[in-house]
Amino acid sequence: MREEIISTKNEAMAQIMDADSSAELEELRISYLGRSGKLTSLIKRLKEIPGEERKEVGILINDSKSAIESLLAEQKNKLGEVAREWFDPTIPGIKPKRGHLHLITKAIGEISETFKQIGFVRVRYPEAEWDWFAFEGLNMPKAHPARDEWETFFVDTSAHPTYGQIVLTPHTSSGQIREMKRVKTPPIRMINIAKCYRRQIDASHVPMFHQFEGLVIDKGISVAHLKGTLDYFARNFFGKERKTRLRPFHFQFTEPSFEVDVTCGICLGKGCKVCKEGWLELGGAGMVHPTVLKNGGIDPKVYSGFAFGWGVERTYMMKSGLSIPDIRLLYSSDLGFLKQF
Amino acid sequence: MDIKIPDTWLRDFLKTKATSSEVAKYLSLSGPSVEKIEKSVYFIEVTTNRVDIASVVGVAREAAAILPQFGVKARLQPVKLPLLKFSNKVGYLEAEVNHNLCPRFSAVLIKNVQIGQSPDWMKDRLAAVGVRPINNVVDISNYVMHELGQPVHTFDYDKIRGAKMILMESRKGERLTTLDGKTHTLSGGDIVIEDGEGRLIDLAGIMGGGNSAVDEGTKNVLLFVQTYNPVNIRQTSMSLAQRTEAATLFEKGLDPELVTDGIGRGIELFVKLTGGKAEKEILDIYPNPYKAKKVTTDIDFIASRLGTGVEKEKISQILRSLGFETAWRGKILEVLVPSFRAGDIEIPEDVVEEIARLYGYHNLPSELMPGDLPEPLKDAPFGFEEKVKNILKGYGGVEVYTFSLVALEEAPTGLKLKNPLGKESEYLRTSLMPSLLTAARQNAGEKEPFHLFEMANVYLPKKGDLPDEKMTLGGIFANSSYREAKGVVEGLVGELNVKSEIFSEDAAHYLPNRHIYLKVKGKILGEFGELSQGYLYYEFDAEALREAYREIESFKPIPKYPAQIEDLTFSFPSRTKIGEVIDYVFSSNKSVAKMELGDIYNENYTFRLWYQHPDKTLTDIEVEKVRNQLTKGLKNKFGAIVKS
Repeated sequence: MREEIISTKNEAMAQIMDADSSAELEELRISYLGRSGKLTSLIKRLKEIPGEERKEVGILINDSKSAIESLLAEQKNKLGEVAREWFDPTIPGIKPKRGHLHLITKAIGEISETFKQIGFVRVRYPEAEWDWFAFEGLNMPKAHPARDEWETFFVDTSAHPTYGQIVLTPHTSSGQIREMKRVKTPPIRMINIAKCYRRQIDASHVPMFHQFEGLVIDKGISVAHLKGTLDYFARNFFGKERKTRLRPFHFQFTEPSFEVDVTCGICLGKGCKVCKEGWLELGGAGMVHPTVLKNGGIDPKVYSGFAFGWGVERTYMMKSGLSIPDIRLLYSSDLGFLKQF
Repeated sequence: MDIKIPDTWLRDFLKTKATSSEVAKYLSLSGPSVEKIEKSVYFIEVTTNRVDIASVVGVAREAAAILPQFGVKARLQPVKLPLLKFSNKVGYLEAEVNHNLCPRFSAVLIKNVQIGQSPDWMKDRLAAVGVRPINNVVDISNYVMHELGQPVHTFDYDKIRGAKMILMESRKGERLTTLDGKTHTLSGGDIVIEDGEGRLIDLAGIMGGGNSAVDEGTKNVLLFVQTYNPVNIRQTSMSLAQRTEAATLFEKGLDPELVTDGIGRGIELFVKLTGGKAEKEILDIYPNPYKAKKVTTDIDFIASRLGTGVEKEKISQILRSLGFETAWRGKILEVLVPSFRAGDIEIPEDVVEEIARLYGYHNLPSELMPGDLPEPLKDAPFGFEEKVKNILKGYGGVEVYTFSLVALEEAPTGLKLKNPLGKESEYLRTSLMPSLLTAARQNAGEKEPFHLFEMANVYLPKKGDLPDEKMTLGGIFANSSYREAKGVVEGLVGELNVKSEIFSEDAAHYLPNRHIYLKVKGKILGEFGELSQGYLYYEFDAEALREAYREIESFKPIPKYPAQIEDLTFSFPSRTKIGEVIDYVFSSNKSVAKMELGDIYNENYTFRLWYQHPDKTLTDIEVEKVRNQLTKGLKNKFGAIVKS
């Protein structure tokens, strides 16, 4: 049978070499490899051969088959343009229907991933929260003027005897004390991402937006660690050449308090038309105020910490350099907008 | 608060060769943030704790401390005052003062004032900070306030009846007309001044009374400079919505020592610009003069908070430049706080901030914290939520973020806001449906099928407690058929390995007979159906879905023997539920491994059937037997007729 295989193969090869049209090649393919082709019928006879030998003959047939197939393909390619079967490879494909995740979802994913790398645990706390967690516990008594910074929505229900009214959290900082009470004994490395609400609406403000809040509490936490964390974030989220800086600011719940800037992605801090001074404002940060630690049940004599809380939308815009003229667009459901991302 | 400081005015008190942009840059790095310089005016953001820099002199004092840290020479030129004589009793005014409301009360009578225009330099400076010049008396008050950060008021002395003032708390229901003509009904606890005839003549710290105001005919002016209890001022100002500049300063707690500068500067300007003559003795009721507050800390604490050591010498130099006094006892540092910082510096952390900002935050090291990592959150929902969103995206869904604040008719059982921005956003939503309907309508011009989805909290009221924040997944389909939309919902549930059962039951907002619940072990996971507006909608309780979700489906051995596949077309009597037909086939015939509905054409339903046996390849005869059994069953049970 071996000889039969080899002669069939040689015969096929010779005929293929002589063929000069794709129709002819197709005919040859059928006569050798088709359902009742010459080589195919040899394959069907394999089972007549006893055990040991069958394997070797099987290999021989297979090899012959591949040799014929590849010569067929090669010969097809060799045929001149006219003799070839016409095919248009530039025809557009049929695309599957494409879905889109929202920019905010992408931003939240990237932010949490970046902080996860350095051991931060993502959490989520109430968006409708007691005044105490949003203000009083954060060292802002009822009549404190610092509250003016947060245009707060109040819910029209009766107040809790200890925790006061229900507010829509104007910042994610309200999660700080919740996290301290959950963990109880540091270390704490929290990243809290949630919806926030403020009574304001214009091209750069929306009444509902998202913030992410970092909180680190442990023994011996210093401003240097805050700087290290911010620089890590800047390098890994914005790009390796980006840097941050701190400027003095004031929050009732941190001491010292800072405003954090990041170098402009275009001029890298030299100053250009977009950023003017080389720096873009990211948001607030600070060392956790000892009163806040106490309110969270943590001894400020043993532990210290830092916190920062920034807008997700704003931070992501600064990363991607999307120049979206009106932040309200992010909350529109216009497919023309949503399908761009 | 944001303040404006003209550069030329600043340089009356700040002696430096630094350019205005250098001043702005260094202030921003170590002190208050200078937002911009426009026409030689600095726009400065003053934080609530630093009311001491809400003035020309305040900024000059801060800059004089900061600039030298950057190697730029600078010096503070203090306010020059005439010789002043204070007394707690004077002949021209009798005063009864509640000291709790007014820690320092000072006033001086200035006689024979000529009311007229202010000089141009004063008008220009006032205009530069956004104050409209009116006449010399009013302008002097405003000028002193902007220069020193100390509000100053003037009364027409002759309108104060009985030359007497009683400063006290208002009683509920009392009425007072301020000099802007507004009449206020007081709620009690406001600081007011009554004259000798019991008339209210001043809403103290907020705005003067109309009945005691200076006018064109005024001859004698009472120059009036005080410090008030910030809590009362804040409350009055907020409840009457009377947010005057004076109130925003007083409510942050002013330095009583500043009163001396305020009255002195006022007298000087009155004499110079109105030709008036000040009484020799100034009334000054100041029972508890400021005694320097002491804060104690130590060098190790400072180093541990900064993450680096700073020399004692440097620490002292920084603090002294800011007006503090320092004394070292070994490692211990005692700091005496100047009166103008008394409201802000309380604890060692406050002292650390002062050192750090002048030392320069850019000079501190930057390093990640060492130490143990916290345990990850048990049972965190985030990965699951991301997975769901990605599945829907894979099916062509487009994610939206819509506002959670809606109108009453969109959340009739929802929580109401006390202070909404408008009727359309007065309630917290209890379902995503209204928002997604609006979202779909926003794309009414779209002719192609689309699917919008959102995952967000809804807020379900709970009596006496915070609302239940329920993470909810909602989605809406437009230009799509029931089967197409339902396929996406089934696909999602299937991909999450959730074995849910379907119950058809009518529900509000959905068309009759076109609504189903998906349940697992009797618990509702979500719903799906056709809305009366023609859209198809689904909503899931994301937490219930997560509970039912299984990350990996358990392994089933791959069938050893191939299935026989064939298409069968049946016609059914009208009102046949195909879901029940399929359930019946599976329950009645073990050899049917899979059954899918293909085309529906003129009430003819074509199914694809997979016949399969675990232990053998079914022969044509065996398949025929199964087929006959099946068609017979369907005929008896549903009246189905085989078409092919």
